[in-house]
Amino acid sequence: MKSSPRQSLGVLVLVVVAVAASACGGGESTSTDDATAVPADTDVAMTAEEPAGPTSTEAAAASSAMASPTATGAASGAAVDCGGAVGVMGPFTGDAASIGQEQLNWATFALDRFNTDNGTDFTLAEGDTQLDPAQATTVAQQFISDQEIIGVVGPAGSQEVEAIGPIFDGALAFVSPSATSTDLTDGSIEGFFRVVPRDDVQGPTDAEYMISELDAGNVLIIDDQTSYSTGLADSVAQTLQDSDVTVDTDSVNQDQTDFSSLVSAIGDDVDVVFLPWQIAANAQVFAQQMTEQGKQATIFGSDGLFSPDDFTADGAYVSSFAPDIRGIPEDEELVTAYTEEYGEFGTFGPPVYAAMQAVLTAATTTCEEGEPSRDAVLAALPETSIDNSILGGTLTFDSSGDIEGADFFIFQIQDGEYTLVQ
Amino acid sequence: MSLFLQLLINGVTLGSVYALIALGYSMVYGILKLLNFAHGEVYMIGAFIGYGVLTAVGGPAAPVVPVWLLVIGMVVVAMLGSGVLGVIIERFAYRPLRNSPRIAPLISALGVSFFLQASALLLFTARIRSYDTTEFISLGTGVDIGPARISLVRLLAIGTAVTLMVALTVLVRQTKLGRAMRATAHDREAAAMMGVDVDRVIVATFFIGSALAGAAGVMVGLVFGRIFHLMGFVAGLKGFTAAVVGGIGNIPGAMLGGLLIGLGEALAAGYISSTFTDLIVFGLLIAVMLLRPRGLLGTPAVDKV
Repeated sequence: MKSSPRQSLGVLVLVVVAVAASACGGGESTSTDDATAVPADTDVAMTAEEPAGPTSTEAAAASSAMASPTATGAASGAAVDCGGAVGVMGPFTGDAASIGQEQLNWATFALDRFNTDNGTDFTLAEGDTQLDPAQATTVAQQFISDQEIIGVVGPAGSQEVEAIGPIFDGALAFVSPSATSTDLTDGSIEGFFRVVPRDDVQGPTDAEYMISELDAGNVLIIDDQTSYSTGLADSVAQTLQDSDVTVDTDSVNQDQTDFSSLVSAIGDDVDVVFLPWQIAANAQVFAQQMTEQGKQATIFGSDGLFSPDDFTADGAYVSSFAPDIRGIPEDEELVTAYTEEYGEFGTFGPPVYAAMQAVLTAATTTCEEGEPSRDAVLAALPETSIDNSILGGTLTFDSSGDIEGADFFIFQIQDGEYTLVQ
Repeated sequence: MSLFLQLLINGVTLGSVYALIALGYSMVYGILKLLNFAHGEVYMIGAFIGYGVLTAVGGPAAPVVPVWLLVIGMVVVAMLGSGVLGVIIERFAYRPLRNSPRIAPLISALGVSFFLQASALLLFTARIRSYDTTEFISLGTGVDIGPARISLVRLLAIGTAVTLMVALTVLVRQTKLGRAMRATAHDREAAAMMGVDVDRVIVATFFIGSALAGAAGVMVGLVFGRIFHLMGFVAGLKGFTAAVVGGIGNIPGAMLGGLLIGLGEALAAGYISSTFTDLIVFGLLIAVMLLRPRGLLGTPAVDKV
């Protein structure tokens, strides 16, 4: 093994070059220090065939979203002398940074439009949670002690909502644009609202689609042993069994790299394989191994797999808690304006816009002498109603803080593009 | 029957990866009586080096070199890189502690393991990378064996593993270096007195063992697609289990152990449930340890006087 120094140097250089190339290889890894960075999934070309959601046909809708605060009867159109800060919590850096950056861009976009349209003077306070509950509690403590902040949009994850609930403790309203865990709105967390549907809507929606559209008679459900996954698996299994569909279950773990033996065991009579997973790259491997072994069953993924960058199995279905707003005619102007300023976007951004709209509207309508109070915003939110919301239809909250009439949406992957099918 | 054949194919693929990792554990243990817990991370770095080569030649969709050259290039560069990394680890983390109590290098090994994991996180971020093998080696090509089929990329991986294992066996049995390695493993001091350059043998062992792990990393990337900074932990654990099942310190034992663990995992996932694969694999480890405490091919302890 004796080698001359020159040889060793050559090998070392080769390796350093390879490692460096590997580091740069990701290319699209999000630059986290640039607030206006385009989210990683810029090549998402989602095409929608039909308008999503209960779209209102009212013609007035051209300037759909940021119309004036019509909620509880504030003067609309005229400039309102009102200001204050909205706290925005999200994973702006870390593993979920591509989601967080999209959320932050949409929050800034919403704020600018609202201020322009209403002559208000609101500002944004950023709080980076990195999708970590511990980090979220630190941010929450900063927000609660900053008297400028009159309401909060975020945080992104259900586990973070649980962590900061006791800190806000009904003193500060917070509206999450993406937390879907069912328990959050059971009354245990005061002052919490969300603009996305609950997970107990997702299970039945997915199951019914499998029955009615995919004619599934035999479904294999594979969970990944996390609480998100097993909960959703149970909910889908329940709905399927109520309709006499045969259900088999199995599970994997998130670190697994090889699913080929599990795939081998999938019988020819299985119509649909349901994967309530959170790691899209795993589902991609699973799908490839099904192709490799010539398995015909259709893959159906939960919202955790909604990732046009990492999961592109042709013909697979994926559900999502937000519609593709490019399919809503009333949103056309918004989509163009956003895309011009920030570039492409996925499904995590538009709900932030809706949440910002709700908080700002509640603040503006309760403004007294230019200053909305935290209590007034909290009291006004349940009464707030937004016509022609960006998510389609009228946005209102029910008594528990959930959005009324919220649906899950289903996409099919066709030639690498996510296409809205329901 | 077709299910059984398919599971055999899956199991042998997985088994050859585990065997390559197990060899590194076993060789190092044989010579230094040291459990090199950083070995799984060397395998992870190997996978990333292969990814780097792939990216450097134009990415999976449009490589500028022929596919066969690309694959050979990835394996060779990853083996060299991992081998050098293994040598560096030995030089800086183990050699200074060679005469310390045995717990010291073990802790040092854990430290190196965390260091490499965190370095990979900083360098490559936590994003899962994909080799996108299907872009340059079609999933459809393969050989039909009765009702089951074995894809080209699996054949390639198994073929590479077998070639490397044959080469290793020849090296250990028939070359001067191999004889020196066996002598050092048998009795380091006596070997030194007979004129064997022990330091050189140890460096060579680390280089070869780590190079095999690097090759395993590239194979996993090619067959299963995804690589990430934490992939070394579970694979390292399985490789270590394979080495122990086969009889740690024993080279054919590591190969046998790897194959058994791979097959056990595949059959358990296919016939029982993928929920319990780890339970079954580690149950196998406990059973072997109870019946044959030195592993399947391990030799009984000889007291050195």
